[in-house]
Amino acid sequence: MSRAIQVRVSESVVRTIHVEDGVQSPLEMLPILAPERMAELLATELDALGFVRDGNTCKRTAPDGTELTIDLTAATITVRLGASADLEAAADRTGRVGIGGEGAAETKLRAEVLEDIDQQLAARAELLRQAVTAQLEARVADVKQELDRAVGRATIAALTEKASELGRIEEIHEDAVGNVTIRVRL
Amino acid sequence: MAETAASEQDLVLLARGLVVRSPEVTAMWGRGRAVAPTISAPCARLLGDALAQVWPALWRRGGTQPTTSLCDGGTRRGRIWERHEPVGLTFSVASLQLLRWLLGTSLAAPLTTILPLATAPLTIGDQVLIYLALDAAADPAQAAIAAQPLVRAAPLAWLGFADQLAGPPPAFASLCAGAGAIVVEALAGELASRWRAVELRKRAMTDPRALIALGAAQDATLAGWLAACDAQRRRDLASFVIDAAAPLFAAQIVPAPALLDPTATLAQRAEARVAAGALLRGVLAWSAWDQAHRGVRFIDDDYAAAQVLLARFEPIQSAGAARAAAWLADLASLAPTTLPPSAATVEAT
Repeated sequence: MSRAIQVRVSESVVRTIHVEDGVQSPLEMLPILAPERMAELLATELDALGFVRDGNTCKRTAPDGTELTIDLTAATITVRLGASADLEAAADRTGRVGIGGEGAAETKLRAEVLEDIDQQLAARAELLRQAVTAQLEARVADVKQELDRAVGRATIAALTEKASELGRIEEIHEDAVGNVTIRVRL
Repeated sequence: MAETAASEQDLVLLARGLVVRSPEVTAMWGRGRAVAPTISAPCARLLGDALAQVWPALWRRGGTQPTTSLCDGGTRRGRIWERHEPVGLTFSVASLQLLRWLLGTSLAAPLTTILPLATAPLTIGDQVLIYLALDAAADPAQAAIAAQPLVRAAPLAWLGFADQLAGPPPAFASLCAGAGAIVVEALAGELASRWRAVELRKRAMTDPRALIALGAAQDATLAGWLAACDAQRRRDLASFVIDAAAPLFAAQIVPAPALLDPTATLAQRAEARVAAGALLRGVLAWSAWDQAHRGVRFIDDDYAAAQVLLARFEPIQSAGAARAAAWLADLASLAPTTLPPSAATVEAT
């Protein structure tokens, strides 16, 4: 009479997962002065907003971890957010085999367990990634507004500089909605 | 019908159905029926008779409209047979392979189970037949046809059905001269309608990966086509880009997806929105040409051609080009303008 052997395989894994999402967009600046000068004027505005300049890029990391990178040469904005987490997953499988089949059964069950764990971790990593995406998505509108204002101020500075090349500036007037009038005596 | 086998009769009826745009054609193909490995002389003659009707069929698809073509550095006005000398349309064994494959393949089956239609050198006639087959098909048969290597090797298929094709497009030079150029002229209205319909469909798309793939195919097609037209001094053949875009500009219909899958990454969604602007990038390329045409003087050799092309761009003009640039900027923006989903659905249907 043959005897059945119960084989039980159990695995537990702790894996460090890093997820990241980001978006890049062109930075639109009017070509009022030479590109290098426009970049300098924008860098000055970004400096006032807490960006740190490193060569041709200006970077700032928000308290929530959102990284903003402005490439002054390529005229691009990159917004990126990442998150890391130690995810734990466990799984077990049980099977019955005859004498002599334990080795093969254990190999098969272990492969199933590891696949199960991989699926669990992939699902949880995807949830973490979706949370990161949602957080980033909530930030980008504010980032765009903030950068639009900085670009606007840099544009006004460029216009003022251009006007001073044309003649003597007599008056600069900015109305409530942001329209700027520069009066120049030629 | 002359003495032919049943499968040969099906081949001839299928060819006739494709040429005359018969709605019954889709009922004939895709059943996976047995097709004889060779055809008889009477069948070959009947197939030749059926395919000889392709030119009139193309005229009926829009080739009869009087317009102006660029010919030999000058211009020629009139109906298409007045603008061009009669030219033959040749069909190779690839056409027969296509017809046999259409009859012998179950097109509703999963793509992985379908025997591929291998690529082969294509004549302009073969390309037209491929175009007619794609035109007659609806999903899933259209997707099955579009996935075949032979179909992906046909530049005319890319011009008409870039939204269905994947991978790099073939060279387009064969469609910029001779019979190929006349075919494109005859189909110009249809091509414009197809590209316009795809623009509307983009607004209802939700899968960013599908939109990225569609945009990549359209970008590659337009880049290749515009470059080929430019190289062959046949910019007029790219007029369908303008005809596709102009009504959308007039109705202020942006090709922006209303609601991309919110579970997709922001990077994917941003890439998808940028990809959606393929036709707008084509319009901007035309706009750059338009600037060059404005600089052609009365005493220059190309003056007449430049005037024709200036007239072609009139529905867009600089205001339309500025709008295309603004829409592209919005598509690439960090926080793009969003459309109400209901509006997108209505326009797409």
